[in-house]
Amino acid sequence: MSTAAAAARREHSGVVSWLTSTDHKKIGVLYCVTAFAFFLVGGTLAGMMRLELADPGRAFFEPGTYNGLFTIHGTVMIFLFVAPFGSGLANYLIPLQIGAPDMAFPRLNLMSYWLFTSGGCLILLSGVASAGGGAQMGWYAYPPLSAGRMSPGVGPDIWILGLGLVAVAAVMTAVNIVTTVFLYRAPGMTMWRLPIFTWNMVIVSILGLVAFPPALAGFALLFLERRMGGLAFAPAAGGDPVIFQHLFWFLGHPEVYILILPFFGVITEIIPVFSRKPLFGYTGFVLATLAIGALSTGVWAHHMFTTGAVDNPFFAAMTLLIAVPTGVKFFNWTGSMWGGKIVFPTAMLFSIGFLLNFLIGGVTGVMLAAPAIDFHAADSYFLVAHFHYTMMGGAVFGIFAAIYFWYPKMTGRMLRERMGKAVFALMFIGFNVTFWPQFEAGLRGMPRRVVDYPANAGYETPNLLSSLGYVVMAVGVLFFLADLWVSKRKPVEAGDDPWDGYSLEWATTSPPPEHNFDAIPPIRSERPAFDLHHEGADG
Amino acid sequence: MKRGLLVRAAAFAALSLLAVSCGARYGMPDPASKQGEATLDLWNVFMIAGIVVALIVYGLIAWSIIRYRRRRSDPEGARGASFRENLPLEIVYTVIPIVIVVGLFFLSVGTENEVTAVAPDPDLVVNVEAFAWGWRFTYPEQGVEVVSEPVGNDDAVGEGPELVLPSGQTTRIVLTSNDTIHAFWVPGFLFKRDAIPGRTTEFDVTPTTEGTYHGACAELCGWNHAYMTFHVTVVSPEEFAAWTASQSASSAVLPATSPSPEEAAA
Repeated sequence: MSTAAAAARREHSGVVSWLTSTDHKKIGVLYCVTAFAFFLVGGTLAGMMRLELADPGRAFFEPGTYNGLFTIHGTVMIFLFVAPFGSGLANYLIPLQIGAPDMAFPRLNLMSYWLFTSGGCLILLSGVASAGGGAQMGWYAYPPLSAGRMSPGVGPDIWILGLGLVAVAAVMTAVNIVTTVFLYRAPGMTMWRLPIFTWNMVIVSILGLVAFPPALAGFALLFLERRMGGLAFAPAAGGDPVIFQHLFWFLGHPEVYILILPFFGVITEIIPVFSRKPLFGYTGFVLATLAIGALSTGVWAHHMFTTGAVDNPFFAAMTLLIAVPTGVKFFNWTGSMWGGKIVFPTAMLFSIGFLLNFLIGGVTGVMLAAPAIDFHAADSYFLVAHFHYTMMGGAVFGIFAAIYFWYPKMTGRMLRERMGKAVFALMFIGFNVTFWPQFEAGLRGMPRRVVDYPANAGYETPNLLSSLGYVVMAVGVLFFLADLWVSKRKPVEAGDDPWDGYSLEWATTSPPPEHNFDAIPPIRSERPAFDLHHEGADG
Repeated sequence: MKRGLLVRAAAFAALSLLAVSCGARYGMPDPASKQGEATLDLWNVFMIAGIVVALIVYGLIAWSIIRYRRRRSDPEGARGASFRENLPLEIVYTVIPIVIVVGLFFLSVGTENEVTAVAPDPDLVVNVEAFAWGWRFTYPEQGVEVVSEPVGNDDAVGEGPELVLPSGQTTRIVLTSNDTIHAFWVPGFLFKRDAIPGRTTEFDVTPTTEGTYHGACAELCGWNHAYMTFHVTVVSPEEFAAWTASQSASSAVLPATSPSPEEAAA
């Protein structure tokens, strides 16, 4: 067979071409689809927990099984859904937004996708199919609980290996993104004209390069302790379990910004487009993101206020300070809407939902930054509600906004706006009904990670509401899947630029050709596609 | 005119909120200790600040969405204003939050110091040892020890051993763990501290209100974490003295002095 024929065959064999392509767009879509599949798994696990907690008394799960549910739920949502969905969007969008034909290292890119997917499958296996017990030690896996004596099964070992693969994949993607943005920008695309999503991904990638290595070291030491007689965290041998907490949270806290910054970027792309205005305060926004990145490497021990083993005031100060650049962004977003001619497609609704939810997450975060308040609220359902307001109400709403905004670019087809609005309404109501009552349960004294809680202690109503809210959200997700199906079955042409977009991806076809651009338009501002489509306009 | 009304409405809302908040707890339990009262005061400040900030930001967002929506009368491709920045405004909205968080920081450090202060000479010392899955409360000076029953049945959630404390007196809790990390949390005291193997940590609690309060382990510690609950009973100093006397008389586990032959025989 001639090489040309072989090449042609490779090109046309559907699934294989997807799984072996080094095209950044295909890898990006693969990342997003895989991450979304993990979201459905993690969401199902959450449903099992809400089922158990709907009323007091133990109904469905053994305590150990329940511990496995939240361990895998947390790991999946953080490391296999939100973060990789951000990577997927970055893979898809960054070369388009900067006018490049592909990422800097296409093969590394594909390899990182495969490492991520294999690591993700290992993590799922670690929860269920593990001789001697699954991973049941929580997503931050504190020793001595996660050490051999108290978690003897192979589950935690598989979990550590899976997480290791995912972390290596994340580092590879970070290297790729930084290199691509620094070296592959089209002529005229200066750093101060970069779309905010790309800017945020640069900062996320730098954070990843800083934060993942110490955590990998921590997990390596934990693995040594579990299987090879290591003693770094064993108090009886002079080790100290608190060291693990430092190593872990030195990843863990930048990680929450790794999770949220991509979606700050997403809504910053969306809000100005639908306000029919330029972004308000571009420079201030970028400086604020840089400040968040820098400060986020100095806040980790606010997870350790109750240990009595860290300098609480220092970490309280850093944590309070990070509220400032976050607050600045709220003014950027509001200022971008101010004086606009705002329209409200689903992507805009999810972006506004993000603002409303994330604000509550931010304000409660400031409360938790005060050590004295944290002494009460840490490890309670108040904390659970707080971080779901940032991660679910924020990042996940950002993911849905991104899907409704860029799906037309990725596929050339529109999603159904009316269904999208139903998805938004169900998700927004369901989310708040689920998590608002958890603030109350937590303040009253309900600890997190419990399979059961006493009756008549003020926990029953909040928990029942939480479980009902979950059902509403789940219906919203089903509506979304139906929307995907309908748009596939009865396609509605999207056209190249259905939203009157700003950044460069709206200046090419939908979906874009393999080489992305037939011709790069002149780049004279941070809105090249807008300039192209509105010659001489200023709005 | 319209804006003036809006500002006045917001000011009224903020003021009525402050008025209502005197004596409010915003979801916190009624504190049963001196330290808890300090935490509650701080909480109220943070809560009011949070509500005011949230109302302002929500107000701005709501105003933008309603006032600047595209109306039916606008043409299809209508565009909004074209301003991109406003340096004085940007400086203002950066500096004001800095001032707020600096203020909150000093308040929070003050409260933390108050809550974690340890008296040079506490009235009572209780050693608390956490283990999987229960608690050992030892009163070394009184020779009393209270230990959890082994946990393992489903009724145990919310049950557990009793930590008896005298009201109005400062008790030093000396906390440690003998296996994995646990956390000693009494919501009624608005306080928790981790119990970490290999480390001993100390804090004081001065209960103010007699009554029974529930306590729980707040750090995941394995299978029966949810059932690692206990109670704190705060009694008058006289009742406390009577309780310790009855306990040391009947306690064969850890007598303060060697038991007399009669006691040993009993």
